[in-house]
Amino acid sequence: MSAAPPDNDVLWARGIVKAHDGNLALREVSIGIREGEVLAVTGTRGSGKSTLLGCLSAQLPVDSGEVWFNSSPVHTLSRAGREKLRRDRFGFVGSEPHLVPELTARENVALPLLLAGAGHKAAYRAAGEWLERLDVSDCAKHRPIELLQSQRQRIAVARALAPLPRVVFADDPTAPLHREARDQLLRILTSAARSHRLTLVLATHDPELAKYADRTVALVDGRTPAPATPVQRPAAAPAIASH
Amino acid sequence: MFYFRLVRGYRLVDLGRLLLTAAAAAVVAGFLLRALGRALSDPPGTHTAVERLLWCLPALAAVGWFAAVAARALPAQRPERMAGLTAAGAGPTRLRLLIAGELALACALGSVVTLLVFLVLRNEIAGPSLAPELGMGVPLPTAAPIALVALLPLVGGLAAAVAVPVTQQLTGHQEPLPAHRFGLPRIITAALLTVGGTLTELYALRPAAADDPRPLRLPAGLGHTSAVLLGGWATASFGAALLTGPLLAGFGRVLALGRPAPRRLLAGRGLTGIARRLGTPLAVLAFTIAVVLTSVRHWVAPGAAGTGPLPAAEALLLTGCTVAAVLARLTEIRAARRPVTATLLRLGGSPRLLFSAALLRWSVAGLVLLATGGLTAALGAGMLSR
Repeated sequence: MSAAPPDNDVLWARGIVKAHDGNLALREVSIGIREGEVLAVTGTRGSGKSTLLGCLSAQLPVDSGEVWFNSSPVHTLSRAGREKLRRDRFGFVGSEPHLVPELTARENVALPLLLAGAGHKAAYRAAGEWLERLDVSDCAKHRPIELLQSQRQRIAVARALAPLPRVVFADDPTAPLHREARDQLLRILTSAARSHRLTLVLATHDPELAKYADRTVALVDGRTPAPATPVQRPAAAPAIASH
Repeated sequence: MFYFRLVRGYRLVDLGRLLLTAAAAAVVAGFLLRALGRALSDPPGTHTAVERLLWCLPALAAVGWFAAVAARALPAQRPERMAGLTAAGAGPTRLRLLIAGELALACALGSVVTLLVFLVLRNEIAGPSLAPELGMGVPLPTAAPIALVALLPLVGGLAAAVAVPVTQQLTGHQEPLPAHRFGLPRIITAALLTVGGTLTELYALRPAAADDPRPLRLPAGLGHTSAVLLGGWATASFGAALLTGPLLAGFGRVLALGRPAPRRLLAGRGLTGIARRLGTPLAVLAFTIAVVLTSVRHWVAPGAAGTGPLPAAEALLLTGCTVAAVLARLTEIRAARRPVTATLLRLGGSPRLLFSAALLRWSVAGLVLLATGGLTAALGAGMLSR
């Protein structure tokens, strides 16, 4: 049986269980994500962060439990339905840039828009704008192999944000970066999410980075041990006011 | 013993590679032992034995070529196996030896089976029609068959050892993609050779041309031709083979021209990206098929001098090995592109879109194969028409 999700939760999961080859990665995790918030999911390697993000972002089917997006069920969707949801509503940044190697930076950023059926001109204009916003517009005509890792990762962020998805999932997006580049990337990501009212789900193994989030959920061995605690500050406060 | 442990984890692709190598090696070993048998039966003083051994060279080269391409594809196909062996302490040299040894073992298997058949048949089992081929009734010098049969594992193993990719690519790290662009000198050289060879042949074929006073005799009952025609054909074929990679890259670029939809963009850019890897096996396949088809056309033409089954068997072997090499390269490319496919699926690209992009890509690659192979075949037919 399924209870209707709370109205202010854009994404909502209850009791999800997921195993990889018999190894339980998630054991009955329940989580609610509010519209427009920045939620950090923390935990060590192997705690199930990536699996949780995969299940929430309609990449992995859940073994049992429920996932709801915008008051409609995700766990019952067909593969085509999940593809459409990912294409039209979700953005994803992984710990590796995973750019398409033979496409230029601009084509990479325009690709999700093209896949969603946007016009060529609109897609490329949006791609150019996002590359500029992420300070990598001079890389637009280069292929990923010619770029630095930090530039590639920013292009991956631009690719996730360009279609203006409802929810952006970032799975340890700063893993390959140095400290400086790491802070910069997270500032850009969170400020873009806040200014465009996107919901951001940020998985990180670094508890220090949770300061960029409005709220933190800790995962331990595929479980959420304590109820999620709101950080003592208003969610609407601009996190980048100091920059 | 170690190899047999590894074989337990084999999948269909690995088993196919093993069996195909063994089968090709068995056929080539058959060619070699037949040459030996004829050399034993021929009366002393005949000089056809060398020619017969030379006939084995293309077949030997084909087996080596397939072994090389298969060895190169192996680490990409089984990254977890490479990672496991590396973690267990196998260095780059040992991995190279393992892969080369596997292919050498397959070659040895095939040639030993043929040797056994050869020895059994020699034992008065074969009828009198086969007697001269097997050297029946003449004592067999022990070293000869062993040397001939040992040649195959040696060629296969060496070709595989040379072709195994360098260390960093072995250990499952992200493989750096080779530069996409072909240098201008390569493109110009290839184009000049193709055009120059074609013009030379067309000039020699002009109706007013006088007959060559010293015609060259071609093997396998292909008749006579002139040195100019043969030179023109060889130059143009080499040029067309060199041009295959740049043509793939160029067609890919043309495919993604203008304002491409995702399908055309992915197909075109993808083709440009794999042009360098796919170019060489495709060029070898185009050349082989062109030569085989031209020869077959000549053989089946009315009034053609009959040939034995040997050239036909050789043609079949060459085609099989070159087709298998292209397939091995395709599996290598597919394995290397697995992360890209995963990314595109995660972005919400439908499998249908990816499939149709791949279909478009392979259709254009097929066009390039037709173009270069067609040129080689047409010029070859022209050369034989004299």
